Amino acid sequence: MVLRQMNAVFVEPSLHGKLSSAFPIAIFASPTHHGCTVGHRWNFLLAWRYLFPKKRFGTFFTWMSVVGIAAGVALLMIVLSIMNGFDTHIAEKLIQINGAIKIIARRPVAKDEVFLENIRRLPHVKAITPYVAGISMMQVGERVALPKCLGLDAETAGSVLPLERFLAKGSLDGLKDGAWVSESLAHECGLDVGDTFELYSPLALEAMKKEELLLPREVTVAGLFKTGWAEADRSTVLLPLELSQELYALSDNVHGFSVEADRKHLGEVCRAINNLLPPGLVAYTWNTLNADFLYILKLEKAMCFFVLLFVVAVAAFSMSSGLMSAVVRKRRELSLLRTWGATRTDLSLVFGLQSLLLGFLGLLAGFVAAAVILHERNAIVRGLTGWLLPKDALWNFYDVETLPAVWSRQDMLWIALLTLTMTLLASLLPIGRMYKLPLVQNLRRG
Amino acid sequence: MEPQDTEVATEIGDQTVAKPLLAVENLSKSFGIQPLWRNVSFTLHEGESLSICGASGSGKSTLLLAIGGLETVQSGTVMFDGHPVIGGRQAHVKGIGYVFQHYHLVEELTVRENLLLPFSIRFGSRQMPDIWDEVLDLLGLKELLDRLPTVLSGGEQQRAALARAVLAKPKLLLADEPTGSLDEATGARVMKLLLQVCRCFRMSLILVTHSPMFAEQTDRRMVLKNGFLSEQTP
Repeated sequence: MVLRQMNAVFVEPSLHGKLSSAFPIAIFASPTHHGCTVGHRWNFLLAWRYLFPKKRFGTFFTWMSVVGIAAGVALLMIVLSIMNGFDTHIAEKLIQINGAIKIIARRPVAKDEVFLENIRRLPHVKAITPYVAGISMMQVGERVALPKCLGLDAETAGSVLPLERFLAKGSLDGLKDGAWVSESLAHECGLDVGDTFELYSPLALEAMKKEELLLPREVTVAGLFKTGWAEADRSTVLLPLELSQELYALSDNVHGFSVEADRKHLGEVCRAINNLLPPGLVAYTWNTLNADFLYILKLEKAMCFFVLLFVVAVAAFSMSSGLMSAVVRKRRELSLLRTWGATRTDLSLVFGLQSLLLGFLGLLAGFVAAAVILHERNAIVRGLTGWLLPKDALWNFYDVETLPAVWSRQDMLWIALLTLTMTLLASLLPIGRMYKLPLVQNLRRG
Repeated sequence: MEPQDTEVATEIGDQTVAKPLLAVENLSKSFGIQPLWRNVSFTLHEGESLSICGASGSGKSTLLLAIGGLETVQSGTVMFDGHPVIGGRQAHVKGIGYVFQHYHLVEELTVRENLLLPFSIRFGSRQMPDIWDEVLDLLGLKELLDRLPTVLSGGEQQRAALARAVLAKPKLLLADEPTGSLDEATGARVMKLLLQVCRCFRMSLILVTHSPMFAEQTDRRMVLKNGFLSEQTP
């Protein structure tokens, strides 16, 4: 009868509809032939009940602690996911603008060298296109600008660079005999498709020294483009390869080549290309070329992680102060537990477990909150930008239709590990307080 | 010969004398230079009840805690069940149970969980109190098992605290003014139950009380006055 009765209370789930009682049943009840008592893991039960007393859905302290930790975790997760999103976006842009692999020549090189055919035949190589890069002076009426000029082969460039995606106005074929001007530069100089401008070769300076006059070339605007990469969009002109070769007096030579290859095998392909290249030419992957910039991005993310971690730390130590109060409030109970045989380690476990439980619940709630907020991020950002900022400012600058966000399993693991570590460390304060409790005085006092 | 149980007796000549469950010898305690009590000595046998009366501040509660090993002493020894009790060093002496004026029930646990908590701490979950039904019947707690302590009356809480103390079948129950927070009628009922439980389960009892009426109900009465403990004869 007794055994049946005990089982009914500690095991029978129907008697415990509420979360506050269901959890200890699942974890602590251990049916034996004698039935169940409070459980030999009484520390777990006590820790759980201090946070979720019977017949109550948690205490104010419990929920405030969970909300504090959840806020920190959600903030970390949201910020890091958006940073990951922007990093991915930036990486994609860098590849789109420069190609996945770039072959740079120390001296101009002929665009139809034999090694190019060998590179094309390499596994994972998809396409290769020559380029000429430099700076020249453009004049539109009274207005003068010094844009970066990129000469591209209209036939092959499209297979390496997503030119059709960049084109904002005009035609793709226009690059065969006209120039593509970046939108900002065109706006600045008042240019539109069909307009003309004068382009001066840098060699004009050399000519002037020899008291010669090198006339500028008149170029027609065949298209306006926008890459979404602010630096490239600020002041760039795309020219037909032949025109740029003429501009820099390269005859049939070029400054280098852009290679498109399978992204998963870039390192391997780059090594293979370097093995085929003659001296004076070196191939670099996009991340080697932008190593400093990528390092800065990584550093920014690490600093953000470090700074935002303090939010979790504050929440953890605020929880710790709550647990300290609980130790003082429960000092008589704790002393009594000691008279029944509970060791100080047992009691430490009660508070350590409370900390870990709060940390775990905060972590879960934080991840859920972050998932919901990230899912609704575009609506939130649109609301905020519409309310606080000029509409479309974000889209114009970053060229993103939606705010990018990428969940990283590694970030989640780090956040989980550090949150649980901090909550566990925070429990050391109440545990230390508990260790100093005067047993006898507590038992005597009412 | 090592005592095995309280049933163990020593033969002196042709007489058989039961060994005391508790032997207190020359126990002295002082706070600074101010002595609290000096050379306190007495013995207590199995199933025997003893009350200690005295004025407030005379050191009754301190003496009770020293007997249970919870309080340090300057000199003297306490032997419980054949083993020395080391004052202040051990929080828990196996075989000693406590009932305090304040019930100290864990508010977050039900009465049932409160009753089973000390048992779980001592024995783990493999065992159940074998006197569970009897104790609950005797103290009338069966209807209160699923309630929280906060909704119980003072008398009910003290009955629960009493049940919690006796479920592990301690050989000695130390009760520090267990009726101190109760009104006279409820106190009398709890006192009656306390003595009944001790008799029923052959537990020895040391009761610290202010009430001469309750003190008279125990087998032996002692008074702590001016630092000395003396036995009162009926």
